[in-house]
Amino acid sequence: MKLRIAAALLTVTTLSILSLSAQGQLPRMPDGNPDLSGMWDNPKPASGPPRGPATVFDKSLFPPFKPGGEALFYEPRTGDARHDEPRAFCMPSGFPSAFLGPYPIQFVQNQKYLVMVGEFMRVTRIIPLDGRPHQADIEPTFYGDPVGRWEGDTLVIDTANFKRWSLDDYYYTDSKEYRMHSDAFHTIERLRRTDMNTIAYDFTVDDPKIFTRPWTEKWQLKLHPEWEKTGLYEMVCEENNRCPGGNCRK
Amino acid sequence: MKARIAACAAAALVAATVFVSAHHSAVAEYDLEKPVKMSGTVTKVEWTNPHIWFYVDVKNSDGTVTNWGFSGAPPGVLQRRGIMKTSMKPGDVIVVEGFRARDGSSNASGNNVTFPDGRRVFTAMEGFQQR
Repeated sequence: MKLRIAAALLTVTTLSILSLSAQGQLPRMPDGNPDLSGMWDNPKPASGPPRGPATVFDKSLFPPFKPGGEALFYEPRTGDARHDEPRAFCMPSGFPSAFLGPYPIQFVQNQKYLVMVGEFMRVTRIIPLDGRPHQADIEPTFYGDPVGRWEGDTLVIDTANFKRWSLDDYYYTDSKEYRMHSDAFHTIERLRRTDMNTIAYDFTVDDPKIFTRPWTEKWQLKLHPEWEKTGLYEMVCEENNRCPGGNCRK
Repeated sequence: MKARIAACAAAALVAATVFVSAHHSAVAEYDLEKPVKMSGTVTKVEWTNPHIWFYVDVKNSDGTVTNWGFSGAPPGVLQRRGIMKTSMKPGDVIVVEGFRARDGSSNASGNNVTFPDGRRVFTAMEGFQQR
């Protein structure tokens, strides 16, 4: 009986794959919107060489700074982990930084929400897909307030209400300084599944306290169905926090 | 099968070249100008997040022994590469390559581990070409 069920499932799966391939169709939700569910690798530049261990924003794309913006953006290191790298003692990375490192991200979707779960610290974004506006009068957060809407087959996620925090993993590429966004930071993500294994991921940074205009990175996400078997591994930073309170122990 | 996984892991990982930690401050904690290569006996393995730590008794030239601590990638990252909790055990004699801690302690990053059978695995976060 088990064998028969397995064979039937295999047949259905194979037919589905063939059907997808033959019709050039991509997975969709019952309401017809694209289904982005799956295990995805962290965002990487859609073209050009890798820029580091994790994805960092491309300096060459930056627009001119506003007066005082550069000083707000580049934060010199002091040698004190509490200032230089709060993540060293398990403070949050925030968005987008937590999703840019070399860890899988699982997308779980229904018609109301897209849930992005990063393996790194199990960070979670719950993104409503009904086009609602941002919440008013909420406290700024590390991960911001994301709201989503469909523009055809493109999912547009607008995130605002951030507190000033690390922008990306530039920290790991420069020993003298790191980069921070301001509390006016605002991001617009555009996700469009271009084939079964790829999401074109355009990421717009809008930080009007720092830059004279927004700029957009062209990234992509690649599907890794083989990671489904084990799923995301647990990652609890406090399990072996070597720097509790910023005081690193030997 | 296990041997095949190990061989695949070894082949894939040796290809990765340069160390980095995407959580802790690798650049701040470890001095990339001070590479180390040491041989000794594993005394303890902490298979914990956010980074594994393993400790190795290394014999000094004067006959004394120093217990060195090495940090590597998180357990999940290593498991996805086929490196499991049982891959390294107390008593194993290994060679470790990494970078010494800036604070002068007997800690270092554990980038590559070579086992007695010659298998060399990459135990740090997946690498990028150092620029």
